[in-house]
Amino acid sequence: MSKPIIDAQNLTAAYGSITALKGVSLSVEKGEIFGLLGPNGAGKSTLLACVEGLHKPNQGSVHIGGINVQSDSTATKRQLGIQLQRTALMDDLTVAELVEVYAALYEVYLTSGQINDLLARFDLVEKRNVLARRLSGGQQQRLALAVAIANDPQIVLLDEPTSALDPHARRAVWDIVRQLHDEGRTIVLTTHAMEEAEALCGRIAIIDRGQIVACDTPAALIANLQLNSMLKATVELPLDQVRSLPDVSNARYTGQHLEMETARPEVTLTALHELAGRSGRSIRDVMLRQPNLEDVFLKLTGHALAESN
Amino acid sequence: MKRFLILTKAMTLMHLRNGYVLFWNFTFPVLLMFIYGAVMSQYMDYMTPGVIVLNALSFGLVSSSTMMLEMREKSVLRRLQATPLPAVQLIGSYLLVNVIIGVLQSTLIILAGVVLYDVPVTATSLLLSYPMILAGMLAFMALGGIISGMAAKAGSATAVGMTIYFLLMFISDMVFPLDMLPDWLRNVVPYLPAYPVVQLVRSAMLEATLDPKWLTHLFLLAAYGIGATFIAAKLFRWEPKA
Repeated sequence: MSKPIIDAQNLTAAYGSITALKGVSLSVEKGEIFGLLGPNGAGKSTLLACVEGLHKPNQGSVHIGGINVQSDSTATKRQLGIQLQRTALMDDLTVAELVEVYAALYEVYLTSGQINDLLARFDLVEKRNVLARRLSGGQQQRLALAVAIANDPQIVLLDEPTSALDPHARRAVWDIVRQLHDEGRTIVLTTHAMEEAEALCGRIAIIDRGQIVACDTPAALIANLQLNSMLKATVELPLDQVRSLPDVSNARYTGQHLEMETARPEVTLTALHELAGRSGRSIRDVMLRQPNLEDVFLKLTGHALAESN
Repeated sequence: MKRFLILTKAMTLMHLRNGYVLFWNFTFPVLLMFIYGAVMSQYMDYMTPGVIVLNALSFGLVSSSTMMLEMREKSVLRRLQATPLPAVQLIGSYLLVNVIIGVLQSTLIILAGVVLYDVPVTATSLLLSYPMILAGMLAFMALGGIISGMAAKAGSATAVGMTIYFLLMFISDMVFPLDMLPDWLRNVVPYLPAYPVVQLVRSAMLEATLDPKWLTHLFLLAAYGIGATFIAAKLFRWEPKA
């Protein structure tokens, strides 16, 4: 395997008495989309801030392209394109002015034509002369992404790029992220949305309470834990009888729905039908759900992704 | 250099497009002249230098930090910190824009004095006045930098700045003559930052000469300016207090 483009070793970071990172190590390979998945407050943003050179870790080190962030942050900052969690741009400037000034901060000087080309990719050409604060949430987010790559960086760090966006705007951002990846850029993004991590990322680090609890491809994360499928049905049956059905490892009621974890859903479903028939009950609304990252997270941390929000 | 120029252009546009900045920096100073003129139109020769310093004081302590505090609160500074831009260029660009704004304000007040109240100015008096105004303004801005470094939020910085402004306004020989103060206070005032500026600007503007104690005054201002710059640099924060 080649040398990682981002290499963080044993990072510990604290804000006052609160320890945000507890000995985190991470390596990101060139050209991958790497996701940091975890609930709010898990330490994702702090980890990014250490990579960005915005937060000095108490212990450990970060290297970007072989350069130590702590000893030469100007050199490492030059390689990065950054979008912070909150869209923190100078909102009294127009869209075109912002792209121009942020590129210039990296000593990259764009011509008017180059600014137009960049804005076109983010569907912002018509908004070229509009003040940033007059844009919609989705447009502001696209602008933040345009600004993030104004310096043509090889590594792009995106902190919650789609939080607070409607589904349509979220898809638009996903498309942009995939495009940036297709151009050969390395992308690291944080998210607390499981479906986003699954949809975009080649590899995912699951981070909880300042520690990385697992790191692999989404498929491997799910496969390695040998998680069961979830079979849902609307039927009233005694739970102890349901639990003794073949291959059922767990069962519970959530409202009217019976939820069963099973290794072999087709066997369980047949048995459930027989049990319902014997008890004179009918089954409605049968649904099968494959295990996903949400289940991985729950299994690894003992709590749901959304819980610690 | 090109980076600095593009950044400074952006900073200028940000200031010019901000209604709050425009009102307090360009409308309020002229309003001040109207207010003082309405109350004591026959003393406006004497009052105009006082209003200039008064304005420089509120500008230095409060208005000149407004945009910086806003950028800090909205995480704009943090976003800038993530770029390879050296902090010194960011602050330099910001100060440059604000010094120009401050000088423009003083010019507006002088113009209002000349046009509305026939305040007599000559080329010599103006040539002597501007460096004195500038010296005062820089010292006040450095002091304002301490306030914004210490304050958790823009609102509290304004409150602290305005309190100091009002105190200095009443005791620094700007609107009330020094004779009206109690003895103990009269002995302290010459060592406070606003008093030397008033003396320097007043003799430059009204008599086209240097105040007899100009060297002492400038030395004191330099001490305030350099000391405050040092403390403000130590207190400078990219992020709001957690």
